[in-house]
This record gives sequence, C-alpha cells and structure tokens, in this order.
Amino acid sequence: MKIKTILLPLLLTLICSTAYAQTSSEAEQAIQSADKLWAATITAGHEWNTIKPLVAQAKQALKTNDFSAAITLANRASEQSVLALIQAEHEKTNWVNNLPK
Amino acid sequence: MKSLFNILVVSLLLALSSAYATPEQDKETFQNFYTEMFPDISLEGFGDGVYALDQDARDQWEAMNDFPPYEEDLEEGEELFNTPFSNGKTYANCFENDGKNIRQNYPLFDTKQNKVITLELAINNCRESNGEELLRYKKGEIAKLSAYMTYTSKDSLINVKTPDSKEALAAYEAGKQYYYSKRGQLNFSCANCHTQNAGRRARSETLSPALGHPTHFPVYRMKWAGFGTLQRRIDSCNKQVRAQPLSGQSEDYRNLEYFLTYMSNGLPINGPASRK
Ligand code: HEC
Repeated sequence: MKIKTILLPLLLTLICSTAYAQTSSEAEQAIQSADKLWAATITAGHEWNTIKPLVAQAKQALKTNDFSAAITLANRASEQSVLALIQAEHEKTNWVNNLPK
Repeated sequence: MKSLFNILVVSLLLALSSAYATPEQDKETFQNFYTEMFPDISLEGFGDGVYALDQDARDQWEAMNDFPPYEEDLEEGEELFNTPFSNGKTYANCFENDGKNIRQNYPLFDTKQNKVITLELAINNCRESNGEELLRYKKGEIAKLSAYMTYTSKDSLINVKTPDSKEALAAYEAGKQYYYSKRGQLNFSCANCHTQNAGRRARSETLSPALGHPTHFPVYRMKWAGFGTLQRRIDSCNKQVRAQPLSGQSEDYRNLEYFLTYMSNGLPINGPASRK
C-alpha cells in the first residue's frame, strides 16, 4: 500500500505537468523520472516489455529537440512503470490465488 | 455476514496452506490437478504437450517426426560434446557418468554455491573451468549440446531434488512464486494459461499443461528453425503477455526452471522434441 501512496501523486504530477512543460530541461526531467521508475520495475522483477521502447523513443525525441513529444512519451513510460510496480506489489500477496486447489 | 467472514478465513487458510506446502506436497497437488483434468492422458503422455490433447495436431506432428527436423543439429550437438577443449579434456570430464544420461537430475541445487544449477549453466561452468569461452545462452551451440545430453537421457525419470537446506527451499519457493504471479501488461501468470486454462484455446493455439513441460527440452521449433532451451521458450511466453524476458540463466529463470521441473518429477525424459 505504501508504494501506492508514493507513486500515485508522482504519477499525477507527471500528467499535470505535461500541458506546460515544453522545455529541454523539463523533457530531461521527465526522462529521468521515467528511467528511475523503469529501473524500479526491473528491481521488482515485473518489467513490462512495453516500457523500454517508450523510454527509447522519448530519448530519441529529446535528441531531435521535440520536447513535447519527449515528455509525452516519457510520461507514458512512467505511467506504465507505475502500473507494473502496483502489479508487483499486488502479486507479493495475491500470487497464491493462482495455486491449483 | 458472519458466515461470509468464516468463508473468507477458511479460504485464506486454504490458500496459505498450499502456499506453504512442501515441494513434495506441491508436486502431488500439481500432478493430481492435471491427471483429474485429463483422465485419459497417462502421466508420461503429458510430455507430449499439446499433442497429447489434440489428435489432428498430433497426426501432423507424428508425420513430421518420420524425418525429425532436428536430426542435423542433434548430430552437431554430439560432435560438439565429443570435441576436446584446448587442454585436451572434454565435457565428459566435468559430469557424472561422463555426461550421459544425467539430464533428469537437472536443475540441481548446489549447496556450496547456494544456487540452482541448470544443465546449460553446468555446461558453461565446465567450459569456464577448462579455460574456454562461455557460450551464449538460450540457442545455438549450447542448445545443441544440451539437446544431445537430453537425447542420451531418454526414458530416464525426472528426479529433481530439494536438499535439506534453507537456501534450496527458498530458491524453490521463489520459482513457485514466479510461476503463479501475474506479470506483463496483459497481467497473466504462467498458471493462468498452463494450469487454469490448460486444454483451452488461446487465439489459434491449444494451451499445453505445465505438467510435462520440461521433459523434452531443448525443443526444435519450426518458428526458430533451430533448437531453443526451456528458458528461450519461456521468453516467448513472457513476450506474449508483454513482460520483458529475462537474460539467460538469471536467478529468476533458474529458480522458475527448478520449480517447474520439480513439478514433473517422475515423468520420463522424451526429448529433444519438435514443436511448431
Ligand atoms: C497467454 C497465455 C500464456 C502464458 C501466460 C504463458 N504461456 Fe507458455 N505457452 C503459451 C502458448 C500458446 C504456447 C504454445 C502452445 C503450447 O505448447 O502450450 C506455450 C508454450 C509453452 C511451453 C512449451 C511447451 C512445449 O510442449 O514445448 C512452455 C515450456 C511454456 N509455455 C512455459 C510457460 C511459462 C513458464 C510461463 C510463465 C512465465 C508461460 N508459459 C506463460 C501461452 C502462454
């Protein structure tokens, strides 16, 4: 549960910031957050294969100075990482529901 | 309200009791689940995967096996196995019984290193101790070597052990948890497909029972046009649910293979095999 209280506000800030943030440093920041959350999913053993391509595309967009695209993509990656982390947290206890009876 | 509460408590206890069962109890429950679900399939029949369930597919598969597509790769595996290292030694020097007829004992738990050793890891350990470069995992040479070692183990019964050690049990439990945990963007566990929905169809494919999965690897898949190890096949399943596959012989994969193979204890090795 603790993880949700940390991650959900973070997610909300990410989404809210997209409308305004268009600068290079804001794009870099969005990518940094995306990188961090992505790494956390790997540590948790629940990486989705949809995250890596989004982060790569975000970095590519930053390279071509398309900051708003970079931010959108990085935030999308972050959203997915948050969901993957919630999945990891959930499965810590709920995996037993799949045991054969 | 009270009875609902009682039901909840009882089901929680039931869930917990199977979560903390011994490996041997797990195996009994696991195998009984499938033998009750498919009363017409013999225990060893499960080693044929979907071809134990689908007669049409089986007919095609048997026709293909008149000239097994893996013959050449298997011969290459034998050659590789017998080719001496630059120090003159061979794989046979690294293994019990000269490396013949031993597949059924893998993965094993090494109580010195406190880790699960799969056959492919043992092959690379052997190379390392003889000063040879490590092979890439999952396909290529290592899969051919492993296929040959499976071939020399035909009909031996899988006999994976959990030594009396805290670490061995922890590795087993971790593998078990991996198998039953939902993962990937599609939120499926291995069990969702290969236990709860075994025999049903997912898109155009029949889902095989997990019982018998490890009996016939490495598998020569037509799609791969070559051999792949069990871990390579698990990669494909992870991708199907949009989970990121792990690197070959990562701890999670080794533990998963340990659990999965333990569940098939008592089934005969019947590989290498061909698959679509
Ligand atoms: C969305 C459903 C799905 C999930 C989840 C899934 N698989 Fe599969 N798996 C398949 C399908 C489809 C095939 C090909 C048909 C068959 O043999 O079952 C397959 C094949 C396999 C095979 C090869 C069987 C053989 O006889 O050669 C193995 C081994 C396997 N899966 C293991 C796993 C493991 C371990 C997991 C969890 C990490 C997993 N699968 C998750 C659908 C799934």
